[in-house]
Amino acid sequence: MGAAPVPAYPAARADVALRRVGSEWVVFDAAGERAHVLNPSAAAVWAHCDGAHDAAAIAAAIARGLPATEPAAIRGDVDAVLRRFAAEGLFR
Amino acid sequence: MRRVALPPHVVEFSADDDLAAPALAALYPAAPESAAPPTFRYRLERGRDGDWTARAHRQPPFGPAALGDAWAFLEWRAIEDVLHEPGPDAVYVHAAGVRIGGRLVLLVGGPGSGKSTLTALLLRRGHPILGDDVLRFDAREGCFGAVPRSIKLDPLTLRELGLGGMADRGPEGGTFLAAGAAYTSPAVFLAGWEAGRGPAWGVVLLGGPPHTGPALLARRGEGGAAVRLLQGVLGNPRAGAASGPGRADARLRLLESLEGARAWEAGGADPARLADLIVEAVRT
Repeated sequence: MGAAPVPAYPAARADVALRRVGSEWVVFDAAGERAHVLNPSAAAVWAHCDGAHDAAAIAAAIARGLPATEPAAIRGDVDAVLRRFAAEGLFR
Repeated sequence: MRRVALPPHVVEFSADDDLAAPALAALYPAAPESAAPPTFRYRLERGRDGDWTARAHRQPPFGPAALGDAWAFLEWRAIEDVLHEPGPDAVYVHAAGVRIGGRLVLLVGGPGSGKSTLTALLLRRGHPILGDDVLRFDAREGCFGAVPRSIKLDPLTLRELGLGGMADRGPEGGTFLAAGAAYTSPAVFLAGWEAGRGPAWGVVLLGGPPHTGPALLARRGEGGAAVRLLQGVLGNPRAGAASGPGRADARLRLLESLEGARAWEAGGADPARLADLIVEAVRT
């Protein structure tokens, strides 16, 4: 994986799909012929990569779904997941 | 001459010598006969010195060689050609498929992981199969189907499993010996060998050799199992009908078909016990 930049407003490529398999999530990259297992947190980040949310907004949206969690507390994890997605070339 | 259906293809095997008849019959012995025009042709020719030349689709002649080696070459080429052109809306995957109590279980693992051994053991216990090494996934139906080829085991393994008699049957009895491997028709193990098509209920990931310790079967993440299965999609992604959007769509459909599947990882040096564990897990 390289150090690809994370877009300010990350947007998933149209040919990358997220699917639930049993208790896990898998993101499938049709063009790259690759698939990756995502934990639930990473899947939640991916679900917000719609080009309308920046990293802060993604953290805020996810924090709203968690009990007693401030966005700042998960921002580092969100950034790390976004960097991984970018390195895998999953963004437009 | 023999023509068999390996959808979407019709594969023709022929020879110019009666001695090759058992060898031709042993190529895909469980595949249904077809009268349709062939899409792939394979031929055995006998030389003056009693050796053989194998002629395969789009390949230079193989030989002169012993009959067993020429036969093994054709068997290898035939499945390679078929899986490189799976037809629209389909892919071939590197896995075995066994139906246990109505539930289709895929056995996934690399060479030497024990797919064929477990398949033979489960088949002998009355569980029908789709295949021991390659399955066809129909993306439109979301179903796995059979690739009716022989089960390939080394004769020593057959004897260790108490199935040594299989290796001694000879081509006319459904087993063909070539270069240290016994190719046995699944019909030899069980008359009604072919399981019905369907989605996968479970996936068992088999560890590679060396196999040591007691038999082990443990639940694991389904997503990781799905990724392993996707990695086992066969064929050249850059060539022929196996490429392009159709292939990607078929792989995505394969992933979606596993939404409700369970997954296990398995290992150990006791395949008979492992077969027991798999049956128990599926029936629980």
